[in-house]
Amino acid sequence: MATNAIDVQKLNQRFGTFRAIQDVSFVVPEGEIFGFLGHNGAGKTTTIHMLTTLAQPTSGTALVAGHDIVSDPMGVRREIGYVPENVRLYDTLTTVENLTFLARLSGVQDIPDRVAETLDFLSIRDLGDRRVGEFSKGMRQRVGLAQAILHRPKVLFLDEPSSGLDPMGMKMLRDLIVRLNHEWGMTIFMNTHLISEIAKTCTSIGVLSHGRLVYHDSIEAVTKRFGDDAALEELYLSVVPVQSNGEAA
Amino acid sequence: MSDVNLSSPGIVSGQSLRIILRERTVALLAGLFVVLVLVSAYLGWSATTTVNAIYNDAVVYLQAAAQPVPPNPVNDISPLSLMRNMSIYVSLIGALAAIVIGYQLIATDRKSGILPLIGSRPIDRFAFALGKIVALAKANGGLMGVAAAIAVGSFLILPSASPDAMGWVRLMAFFALSFLYMMLFGLLAMAAAASSRSESVGLLVPVTIWLTVTFILPSLTANIHPTAAINPISALALPPDTVFFRWTGWLLGPLSVAESFKYLAAGLLDYLPATARVRSVVPPLPDLLLALTGAGWLAARGLARMDMTRGDYDV
Repeated sequence: MATNAIDVQKLNQRFGTFRAIQDVSFVVPEGEIFGFLGHNGAGKTTTIHMLTTLAQPTSGTALVAGHDIVSDPMGVRREIGYVPENVRLYDTLTTVENLTFLARLSGVQDIPDRVAETLDFLSIRDLGDRRVGEFSKGMRQRVGLAQAILHRPKVLFLDEPSSGLDPMGMKMLRDLIVRLNHEWGMTIFMNTHLISEIAKTCTSIGVLSHGRLVYHDSIEAVTKRFGDDAALEELYLSVVPVQSNGEAA
Repeated sequence: MSDVNLSSPGIVSGQSLRIILRERTVALLAGLFVVLVLVSAYLGWSATTTVNAIYNDAVVYLQAAAQPVPPNPVNDISPLSLMRNMSIYVSLIGALAAIVIGYQLIATDRKSGILPLIGSRPIDRFAFALGKIVALAKANGGLMGVAAAIAVGSFLILPSASPDAMGWVRLMAFFALSFLYMMLFGLLAMAAAASSRSESVGLLVPVTIWLTVTFILPSLTANIHPTAAINPISALALPPDTVFFRWTGWLLGPLSVAESFKYLAAGLLDYLPATARVRSVVPPLPDLLLALTGAGWLAARGLARMDMTRGDYDV
């Protein structure tokens, strides 16, 4: 039986009187590419912040790679990689200098070899000695991915990974995500508001609307239920109420 | 991968130093501080050689006139007092340099946006805070080390003004005291940089505290005019004996850490006037140590509670 890479139980996050996340529960089995879909402000990033232990939940908890995010945050951090929406590093340092620092914090041994191997995997060895401040969004995104996989995490969290990328950059990133899942066996948790991204990359999906999980199933099940190429879009529109101006109600 | 990364504070401090050493403002202030230490040493050397030259001329004249020769006045003053300007440079440029270093150690991380990447790694928040405080201590310690080396070098090339064994100990104690004073302001700057939502407020808060402590509080507690506060001797003048200054000295004295520092520095460098007395209810050394402990607690708390989810400032 497959074990769960992520097991979320009644997760809540409150900012003052605003309930950003409300009783969210779901599981992501090991080896999945899980797409977390939702409109802007639905609470996707807040959820990822809690699962990566950057923020504490108000109540509820979650296990990530078998470690509790509340009682064992260090255990979680040892097993995860995280790529924020806007990858930002020390602009005055080179790619290798940035990666070396972050690898040391992760306790990686043989850092020069590991950095070179990771840069090769992402086909960005030529960026190694260049300062990060000179990079385009797409280059930064790939360096961001490099820092997240340096220590070979079991679970990789990506927050809107294709945000701001051109079509070529998006395709390249999608291919890398699939390779990390297939070749390195990483479970991938990906926040996005792009339905097309999920359709092309993910094996299961969760839909978040106004802090509540309104749908959670495999992509296979979604396709069976709706039965055509536009399945995900239909699913999204059926579970997320939409206002007359086109925004999520 | 190792199970527990015990070296995290060292990694954070090393990286932080590497980053801030590339900051121009830090380099400029540190360079200015070192230049002023050299100026202080030169002024001490110049004053001594001038007095010696005048004395030697006078000796020749007095001997020719068969008059009694008085002792050399240079021998009546402690050689350490030649370094008295250092206490002012530490309380002015040294404290300001410490503020900029403390602020930059945190602000560069916040501005670079790297905090979420650090926060999602297996490093305890207190280990992160400790790493930053160690980086501040290394930077301030480096500056004080350079200052101490210049002072020692000055005394070595000026044999007539060389201190005795106890004098060397007092000189080193002065540099240790100066280091603690700079740490106080560096830690306050770190706390402000970690807690403030705006970049400018993060720097303005410690600078305002420094201005208040250096210029405003001494004028309230001891009637020290701001321009007198930059003179090592007149900064130690007694306040008028009035009810107002008795009360302000009692109430605000413990907050006036610049006065505590100058009093202790004057004692260590042998230029404390015989009439000088402590104005505060808290003696100078406990006062400085209490302030340092408070600043350390604020910095550790601010850093441990810093929002790691976001990189940049709000405004």
